[in-house]
Amino acid sequence: MAASGLIAVEGLNHTFGGKVNALEDVSFTVAPGEFVSIVGPSGCGKTTALNIVAGLVPLEHGTVTIDGATPRAGRHDVAYMLARDCLFPWLTALENAELGNAFRDMPKEERRAKAIQLLDSVGLRDFKNAYSKELSHGMRQRVALARTFSMPSPCLLMDEPFGALDAQTKLQLESLLLELWSRERRSVIFITHDLNEAVLMSDRVIVMSARPGRIVADIPIPLERPRSVRSLQKDPRFHELYAQIWEKLEYGVFDTNMAEQ
Amino acid sequence: MSMTIAKPSVRVRSAANAGKRLRWNSIGSAIWPWQLLTLIVFGLLWEYVAANRIIDPLFIGTPSRILSFFFTELFVTGSLASDVLWTLAGTGIAFGLGSLAGIATGLLFVSFPATEKFCDPFFAALNALPRIALAPLFLLWFGLGIGSKIALGFSLTYFIVLSSTVAGARSVDRDFLTLARTLGASRTKIFLRITLVSAVPTLFSGLRLGLIYSLLGVIAGEIIAAQHGLGQQLSYLAGTFQIDGVFAVLLLLALLGSGLTYGMSALESRLIRWR
Repeated sequence: MAASGLIAVEGLNHTFGGKVNALEDVSFTVAPGEFVSIVGPSGCGKTTALNIVAGLVPLEHGTVTIDGATPRAGRHDVAYMLARDCLFPWLTALENAELGNAFRDMPKEERRAKAIQLLDSVGLRDFKNAYSKELSHGMRQRVALARTFSMPSPCLLMDEPFGALDAQTKLQLESLLLELWSRERRSVIFITHDLNEAVLMSDRVIVMSARPGRIVADIPIPLERPRSVRSLQKDPRFHELYAQIWEKLEYGVFDTNMAEQ
Repeated sequence: MSMTIAKPSVRVRSAANAGKRLRWNSIGSAIWPWQLLTLIVFGLLWEYVAANRIIDPLFIGTPSRILSFFFTELFVTGSLASDVLWTLAGTGIAFGLGSLAGIATGLLFVSFPATEKFCDPFFAALNALPRIALAPLFLLWFGLGIGSKIALGFSLTYFIVLSSTVAGARSVDRDFLTLARTLGASRTKIFLRITLVSAVPTLFSGLRLGLIYSLLGVIAGEIIAAQHGLGQQLSYLAGTFQIDGVFAVLLLLALLGSGLTYGMSALESRLIRWR
């Protein structure tokens, strides 16, 4: 990979329609190959922050750079994944998996080989020619993972990618994501409201307060890798970190509510 | 330590589809003999009512004579066959031109919304106009021949296909567009590969309706004034009180209409298999 994937956000301020303060002085960096989760109560602006980095929402105040360049939707060094699988119903699983590279004009043989390899990795070898109506929710999100990881982008932006899944499917896909990520480490910004998920997956967890969104804590997760989603749930250090983040999150919500009253 | 990837535990698709098909077939095969029986009973009842003059057959005809007229004129003398061809030719041309123009205008409206804003009041007024009222004008402009029939069919099909093209292209999922933007798709690619494809199902229901309305326009034009065509035959037979002939032509029209709709649906399910 030519680019390294350093994401730097500095003094980000954002308002909705010039009135409601959405983000207040948000600064953080994601080192190349680092997995960073952002947690916070709903409406705290975490998705807005992500969309600014993705170039989907125009930057108002502050600076955002990805390897020194300003964000723009469709940059090849960024791959974006939504909570909805967004598979195109008229394409097969294989065609969906290679869609990103097709839009980016990668030669057909190359992108097809990449997509087949990824579909194998996510356990959908036998479903290459299935349309999305023939796949379960979990399988569709697997295809979306394959689509995201088949693009050679050093930065992954994920907006609650497993938010719509049931608990068990979610666990499966979390381990899948960790495995794909650990093969070739990319920089990840992972938005979630699930603390479990944040602690399990991340190198660092950023906690945001309720609106206006501010960073109330930036907590490193020193658990060794590779991690097992299942065995970590029994690890006391996991629960300590969980409690620590929960406290910060609670403080962020409570504090702001008090200020409003 | 290894991270195992769970195998998806979902039914194999061919098996599920086969099950569905089987069920539909068994329902279909259970129903159609009953439908046929209903039709035969209805025909016999009609025959009885007409033969015993409970209602004067001058008004309702007699099924046996209707069928005999149908076969004689269509297959023996072939006099209806040439009318069928005239009507179908008119319908085909009106549908082809009308839907091409409708799709083209629709895509223009979607690509450049200002054009739609500009044209909207004019198109709304034209579309609200009872099209049959234009028939005398079309006769004057395009003559007694097939031209005036095509014009009438076109004027109906065009607006139907136009509005379904616009509605279809508007129905595109916002998230698909967002995703495509972040994936790096150009505007042209987004239009061709997402907006257009998303429009196809809605467009097809417009095309199916447009085809039927082309037939309607052509028949209406032929009834008003023509030298050929099923509409002209219909008007001639009714004018000379050949009521069996009128019913035979109506039967033919019902069969033609169903055939056209069926063909369109078959084409649709072939083209949009992903639905």
